[in-house]
Amino acid sequence: MWRFLVARASLLVVLVLAASSAMVAVTSLAPGDVTTESAMFGATTAQVARERARLGLDRPALERYGLWLGRTLRLDFGTSFRYGQPVASLVAARAGHSALLAGVALICAVAIGLPAGLLSGSGRFPRTAGVVAGVSLVLLSLPPLLVALLLTFVAARTGWAPTSGMQSAGADAWGTGARILDVAWHLVVPVLALGLPLAASFERVQQAAAADGAGARHALAARARGVGLARWLWRALWRPTASPVVSVFGLAAGTLLSGALAVELVTAWPGLGRLMFEALATRDTPLAAGCGAAAAAFLAIWTTLGDLAAWWLDPRLRPEGGR
Amino acid sequence: MRSSRRALVPAFAALLIASAGFVVACGGSQPSTPAPAVDRRPVVAALRAEPRSFNRLAAPDRGSLVVSLLLNARLVELNHKTHEIEPALATKWSLAADGKTYTLDLRPGVTFSDGAPFTADDVVFTFAAVYDPKVDSPIASALTIGGKPIAVRKTGDHQVVLTFPTPYGPGLRILDSLPILPAHKLKDALAKGEFAKAWTTATPPAELAGLGPFVLTGYAAGDRLELARNPRYGARGPDVHPGVERLTLRIVPKQDAERVALEAGELDLLNSELRPDDLKAVRTLASAGKVKTYDLGPAIDAEMLWFNLRADQKKPAAARPWTDVRFRRAVLQAIDRQAFVDTVYLGAGTPVDGPITPGNKAWHASGLPQYPFDVAKAKALFAEVGVADTNGDGVLDVKGKPFAIELLTQRGHAGRERGSQVIAGQLKKAGLTVDVVALELPALVERINKGTYDAIYYGISSGDTDPSVNLDYWLSTGSFHVWNPAQAKPATPWEAEIDRLMQELTGLTDASARQARFAKVQEIFVTNLPAIFLAAPNLTTATSARVEGLEPGPLYPYLLWRADTMRLAQPH
Repeated sequence: MWRFLVARASLLVVLVLAASSAMVAVTSLAPGDVTTESAMFGATTAQVARERARLGLDRPALERYGLWLGRTLRLDFGTSFRYGQPVASLVAARAGHSALLAGVALICAVAIGLPAGLLSGSGRFPRTAGVVAGVSLVLLSLPPLLVALLLTFVAARTGWAPTSGMQSAGADAWGTGARILDVAWHLVVPVLALGLPLAASFERVQQAAAADGAGARHALAARARGVGLARWLWRALWRPTASPVVSVFGLAAGTLLSGALAVELVTAWPGLGRLMFEALATRDTPLAAGCGAAAAAFLAIWTTLGDLAAWWLDPRLRPEGGR
Repeated sequence: MRSSRRALVPAFAALLIASAGFVVACGGSQPSTPAPAVDRRPVVAALRAEPRSFNRLAAPDRGSLVVSLLLNARLVELNHKTHEIEPALATKWSLAADGKTYTLDLRPGVTFSDGAPFTADDVVFTFAAVYDPKVDSPIASALTIGGKPIAVRKTGDHQVVLTFPTPYGPGLRILDSLPILPAHKLKDALAKGEFAKAWTTATPPAELAGLGPFVLTGYAAGDRLELARNPRYGARGPDVHPGVERLTLRIVPKQDAERVALEAGELDLLNSELRPDDLKAVRTLASAGKVKTYDLGPAIDAEMLWFNLRADQKKPAAARPWTDVRFRRAVLQAIDRQAFVDTVYLGAGTPVDGPITPGNKAWHASGLPQYPFDVAKAKALFAEVGVADTNGDGVLDVKGKPFAIELLTQRGHAGRERGSQVIAGQLKKAGLTVDVVALELPALVERINKGTYDAIYYGISSGDTDPSVNLDYWLSTGSFHVWNPAQAKPATPWEAEIDRLMQELTGLTDASARQARFAKVQEIFVTNLPAIFLAAPNLTTATSARVEGLEPGPLYPYLLWRADTMRLAQPH
């Protein structure tokens, strides 16, 4: 187990460096730079040149990369070109918002997808299974961006949830409980936009696993003994078939990350995805690199947790053969 | 088995009741409470992007501009409706006989939001900060005349004298871009050379002090800024106070999300104008009394199509027929401007003849050379410069060789992308092949700066109606003289003439003399067509029905430029 954790920690470092280096490369090699905004809003040619020199943008790309790498290895993630603030503090705040969104979206996906998959895979509700399969196929076909747009439209027309933002105007003056509820209220649209397509993929995997498990001897025996539906679903069907489903949780990290960008833009959720998009669009190299590093760390940690959860459920999957 | 199924029914009923309770308790996007006798909800305005800084002198972006207008005050204010300057912190001013020295009387009894008195020292300090080379303020160029700063000295606690390097036509209107900052808060930072890093968005709100109608009370990065009415506000006199207790600036990056939020009742003020596609839906809401729309007339700035007229081109001259003015006139005559308005702006636009739109009433010239829509005439002009259909395939070529123009525009800007496509489609009818390429803004600006393009369809915001404030565009030496920037000497006689006229009118203070010369500039411009203007959108913005007292105008920001008159509509 310790060898596994050390290996994963090493992989995390490599992933973080690779992702952030890729961001540095993209922002450095793409045409234009962060001084474009200054130029468009009145800075003179001489001022733009001075700003480029101050930010080191007049140096060759390789030299800039070397300087960035040296600082990063000393855990100095630099200062945002655009905001003039430490990248670490800018990224930390937004990463927390994204983690909240992703976490709740995952819970929502599990709460919807797993029971739906169990019911449709149990073989006991054929009509329901057909409907659930149809809905899942539709949700799997819809990208999170489209789901976010549809839900935003519905929310705007019905008023059943806010269409954008993380908190209501004036929420600063409310009590803690009211503010928590307010954030939960603002999570509805983005969580469903991210969570529903993910729930559909969980449902499909769970359905397939449950369909296999429903024909197993222990499951048939439990039915023959008259075990209640809920107990049968949980003990005879889900627990033996949970492992392949939980191992898919690790892959959910990639889905959540890629979907989060579009959802955060449409719903104005102040998360890491939106910050990364802005950093790339404005060629804010240190900030883009910091966002890339955070996203890579999120991916590595999440897949590790997914593997650990799978091993807890099924010791046969452990790398040391169950020891 | 039967007992477990029977148990499902009451469980399902309980779930339904709980869900209903949840929906009732939540009841829509606002907490469900009895209608208050007084509307105490904050007014919510949209902001497209976060401010880069709370220090306007260090940040040129629009987010920082809007925040600065709310937190700070200026010596004079440019009225966005009348385009004239009005007193603010300066109550009156006089111009000396030399035509370049202004004496400004400052408003007495005004204090910053932290209680410190506003005096002439704050004005002197702010100018010093703008011109400080360590600050390298991006707004300094707007306050330099011919590359020289304005000299400022105090002649009393509430009087300053501004001496311009030369007589300057726009006069004090350039002070509209300068927020007056507190010397007592920022002088140490300036002395240490750290002014540019002062008042970033990480600064606690309590450390900020301003003369504006609002104070910052909270900032949730990426989400919103919370502001409250400044109880000490007095920049426009003791009787002018915002009628709104709290204002929230909500960051909404996408324009369609902004319109949806207005429709849902989550927004009161839009960040910018409505898109043509949204007008019908919003006007329907206005008919139902849910929102108010404000028609601001033709925009001050129109998008322009220009060709690369730089001399340092790798393409041979024969491949650049657009350097001949007849080609550019042909392009203009090949485009049906009314059809352009109907397609790009869905009818909500005004065809224009030149660079100054009818929205800029003081400076728009009539009687300019006309180039009516005439495809046959356009083809004849193309043929005169050697672009003709020599092989009868309906497509224009140059001496039998295929000829196409690459037209660059901004990706993600719907109006510019649509406009480019319409231009390409119209020119195709005249036989001209135009390939539209949409680029991200930084990539587009780089191509413009390097001069590696054939043609561009883009727009530049002027920020002021007075052309002398935008000399960088008109003068051949200017960096915004986009078709051929930063010329060492004028490349053409007509550019030399425009340079002469612009320098002349910038040094005059008589309005009608200035306008007469600028009318001549427009005539020369439209005769030589370095840039082609087709139409200006008719601007419409909107607010929720509960906000009133605003004075919308066609200069950005359309609504919040004067937030101190804003108030909540009284319930009927």
